[in-house]
Amino acid sequence: MSGRPQIGGARQTFAPWDDPAARPLVRFEGVSKGFDGAVAVDDVSLSIYEREFFALLGPSGCGKTTLMRLLAGFETPDAGRILLEGRDLGPEPPHRRPVHMMFQAYALFPHLSVAENIAFGLKRQGVARAEIAARIEEMLALVKLEGLGRRRPDQLSGGQRQRVALARALAPRPRILLLDEPMAALDKKLREETQFELMALQQTLGTTFMIVTHDQDEAMVVADRIAVMREGRIVQVGRPVEIYEAPADRYVAGFVGDVNLFEGRIAACEGPLIRLATDDGALDAEGAGVVGDAAWLAVRPEKVAVHTEPPADGRNRLAGTVLDYGYLGDWTTYLVETRPGRTIRAARANATRTLLRPLGCGDPVWLTFAPSSAVVLTK
Amino acid sequence: MRRGRVGLAAILPFLWLALFFAFPFLLVTKLSLSHTVLAIPPYAPQLDLSQGLAGLKVFLDGLDTTTYARLAQDRLYLDAYLSSLRIAAMAAVLLLLIGYPIAYGISRCPPGLRLALVMAVILPFWTSFLIRIYAWIAILKPAGILNAALAGLGLPPVDILNTETAVLLGLVYAYLPFMVLPLYAVLDRQDESLIEAAQDLGATPLAAFWRVTFPLSLPGAAAGALLCFIPMAGEFVIPDLLGGSETLMLGRVIWTEFFANRDWPAASAVAIVLLATLAVPILLFEREQGKVLS
Amino acid sequence: MRGWLKALGFAAAVTLAACGPKAPEDSAPQAGGTLRIYNWSDYIDPALLAQFTKETGIKVTYDTFDSNEVLETKVLQGNTGYDLVVPSNHNVPRYITAGAIAPLDKSQLPGLDKLSSATMLHMAPFDPGAKYAVPYMQGTIGIGYNEDAVAKRLPGVKVDSWAVVFDPANLAKLKDCGVYFLDASEDMYAVALNYLGKDPNSKLAADYKAATALLMKARPYVRKFHSSEYIEALANGDICVAVGYSGDVLQARSRAAEAKNKVKIAYAVPKEGSQVWFDVFTIPRDAPNPTAAHRFMAFMLRPEIIAKASNFTEYANANAAATALVDEALRNDPNVYPTRELSDRLFVTTTKDQALLRDVNRQWTKVLTGR
Ligand SMILES: Nc1ncnc2c1ncn2[C@@H]1O[C@H](COP(=O)(O)OP(=O)(O)OP(=O)(O)O)[C@@H](O)[C@H]1O
Ligand SMILES: [Mg+2]
Repeated sequence: MSGRPQIGGARQTFAPWDDPAARPLVRFEGVSKGFDGAVAVDDVSLSIYEREFFALLGPSGCGKTTLMRLLAGFETPDAGRILLEGRDLGPEPPHRRPVHMMFQAYALFPHLSVAENIAFGLKRQGVARAEIAARIEEMLALVKLEGLGRRRPDQLSGGQRQRVALARALAPRPRILLLDEPMAALDKKLREETQFELMALQQTLGTTFMIVTHDQDEAMVVADRIAVMREGRIVQVGRPVEIYEAPADRYVAGFVGDVNLFEGRIAACEGPLIRLATDDGALDAEGAGVVGDAAWLAVRPEKVAVHTEPPADGRNRLAGTVLDYGYLGDWTTYLVETRPGRTIRAARANATRTLLRPLGCGDPVWLTFAPSSAVVLTK
Repeated sequence: MRRGRVGLAAILPFLWLALFFAFPFLLVTKLSLSHTVLAIPPYAPQLDLSQGLAGLKVFLDGLDTTTYARLAQDRLYLDAYLSSLRIAAMAAVLLLLIGYPIAYGISRCPPGLRLALVMAVILPFWTSFLIRIYAWIAILKPAGILNAALAGLGLPPVDILNTETAVLLGLVYAYLPFMVLPLYAVLDRQDESLIEAAQDLGATPLAAFWRVTFPLSLPGAAAGALLCFIPMAGEFVIPDLLGGSETLMLGRVIWTEFFANRDWPAASAVAIVLLATLAVPILLFEREQGKVLS
Repeated sequence: MRGWLKALGFAAAVTLAACGPKAPEDSAPQAGGTLRIYNWSDYIDPALLAQFTKETGIKVTYDTFDSNEVLETKVLQGNTGYDLVVPSNHNVPRYITAGAIAPLDKSQLPGLDKLSSATMLHMAPFDPGAKYAVPYMQGTIGIGYNEDAVAKRLPGVKVDSWAVVFDPANLAKLKDCGVYFLDASEDMYAVALNYLGKDPNSKLAADYKAATALLMKARPYVRKFHSSEYIEALANGDICVAVGYSGDVLQARSRAAEAKNKVKIAYAVPKEGSQVWFDVFTIPRDAPNPTAAHRFMAFMLRPEIIAKASNFTEYANANAAATALVDEALRNDPNVYPTRELSDRLFVTTTKDQALLRDVNRQWTKVLTGR
């Protein structure tokens, strides 16, 4: 599989959500769903566009699966409606919706062979026998399982099963494919490979994908847009870079990637820059707000520079000692104590190869970050 | 210590089998090779170990297979076998047709209700078996409850007591829990997401049932059918009480040999052949059960 | 009373076969000690047992069975632990040959001389010299019938012949209201042979073939062959004719009377003659306490005691001195105490050898199943 740059390159201009004239493929309008009084999905409005790779990201139990099951038709909304190409899906039972789902645990039919599993949806559609055979071959080739058509699910590895589930859901050519944590059961390396394969597949077929994950890295890698959910609500929808670099609030900032937060009050606004009065002194960052309001400055560890000598510039400068560090191969992360009880995370790319330890526990260090690398959050 | 306990646990089932299956089986086999005498006990030869090996030789020389030859010569025995198997098979099919919807219905109920319904299936078993079968006599007899009800509806009376129909009814009634429970076990354990996957792929609820639920429940059906079939083929009490004279079943043949003819060897030989005939289903059953349990 | 609940018998025998002989719990014959009796169910007045214990200090353990077959299967295994068992007359020779029962010590049985000579004559073929058995109760095989139902279907026909149940012409008319035959091959062959004018104890295969042919012609009209269900069925009016045992039919008659269901049951011993049977006291060879068994027999030989026993069972006893002490209704009922004229037409059946028994039972199976 070729890498991300090509795909990204081909998609530079793919942004139908910015086009007011574009008609969404799927639209959730104020959809709510509760179970026994507890709200699982709370007033969700969301548009998903044709050919989009859309990710739902959120912690366990936040309602991702429920939202997907509402679209597939296994749950009925308590309030709101779901539209497919402008048509209300409300009265359609699951088997009439052109929406297919890849289940969290794959739900392969154990009594059917791989080929029969793939043919299942086609047979229900009444596709001709010869075409079914051709489509099975096509799908097996697509997911690289040529020759395994006669196996039973229990004779396959976890990764192979995942592909069969994918092929089975794709074979009847759904308008939108729902993938509920498709890679949760795979090991890290296989997961990364599969992520890229999935993207290529989506690109080839042009099918709209909606993927559920609670793995932020996965969402960042595969998705055109990410919706971050929290307790049944959508907190932010945006491209991965927006979610990461311009989180809507502290929750998103903390959920997607690591972040250092400084609590304080807005002391001054100077154009795009805001000065925040914190317990760690005055800190500058980009953002918008009203003087006097409570606010938080958020800065990601990799944007915090670590110096062994005191730096010249005094802005956004903090002194401390290394409390702990973790060598990750490509990165080393440092935990720096700037005052008793206050630690800051900083990450440094291991740009040069060295077996020497440049920094160790107890070493005095200075941390700096550019105001443009940090954001002020008011929520 | 640990090893010792594991070893004992592994041996126990074999001890159990040896004590309650192999040993009685050998005894009955020995009996089937003996011949009747008017004495205590009413068969010969007896093993006289006081004479040592010579006694054993005399004993072994006294055994023969004439009883089996007699079974082979008289069509009655073959007819009784076939008739027993036929009645048991018919009852098994009826049990499947009746038990499946019941088991399926229970498995679709809310969890709290499910337990209550399973109890309802088992509950009749807490009253005496004989009393329940006698109750059927009261229902089916010519001036019984069934005909009173039919008369109330203005329908002609039916006379089914002492017929094969009544035997089938009794068998189905008595063995229903043994069909419902294994079926319910597989249906209840079935992964709900498989049905959803089928519907998601365009299967109507009915198609999802036939393509997914039903085939996946077949091991339970097989387990239930064999669980019922084997004892039904050897059933004595139900055909004796509800059946007519022409309801020819092996249980009755064994009874006649044992009691009326005082012919223990013949009764034993019939039982041995019954066991051999059913060994195949039993083995099949073991395999199916292995599948269900895995 | 002589209800043959085969189901239970079968279960009992299976248990027996599985468990082997049961040793008595306390087998030492102590002073007084325990007497273990194995008798037909519902076949003795419990008050008599209490009286026996009171008089002798011997405790009584009383177990019951429902068929001769179950009894014999158990006794022929040996080691039953019983001191007294009650087989029917035609089985006694088998017990003697098998060495299963012990000769009586007549010095311990002072009342033997009171037994009716006619009965002892009947018993002679089974127990020559009266060495092994003391008769207890006796009865006949005959036709039990619903008077009104039969009168309606066979107007003007008197139920006094086996032809009522063996002639297909009659049976055809009775079929709709229900005919039961006993499921007891030896009893049924005996009355069938007798009806055909042959020796009820014939040893000729041809005779049995003829009887089988007769029974085969009757079988399409027979609702069921069963040895106890007819009691209830007659009493309820579910059937109208049954070949059955005298005491059982009389019991059906009492039940119908109690139920006030307008069912009138009658019993007839056909004019061609019929079988009379006796249930007799015997002592197993390995009885733990034969002394107590003798004491009990002597007790039951007392006329006032056996008369009470008859009042309870509604069967005749063999004690000539007791007849006058039996309830009047019972002693004057010819179905219980046959008249001399009837008595002359009664016969007993003897024991068949194993080959003949097997052959007769095989033919009986053919009658039962039609194949
Ligand atoms: N059938 C149901 N009955 C009752 N409550 C339910 C049901 N399905 C989901 N819930 C509840 O709704 C909430 C959302 O569940 P959902 O399965 O959508 O979470 P999720 O985001 O998919 O979590 P995960 O990442 O663990 O899969 C949870 O609190 C869950 O307990
Ligand atoms: Mg989920």
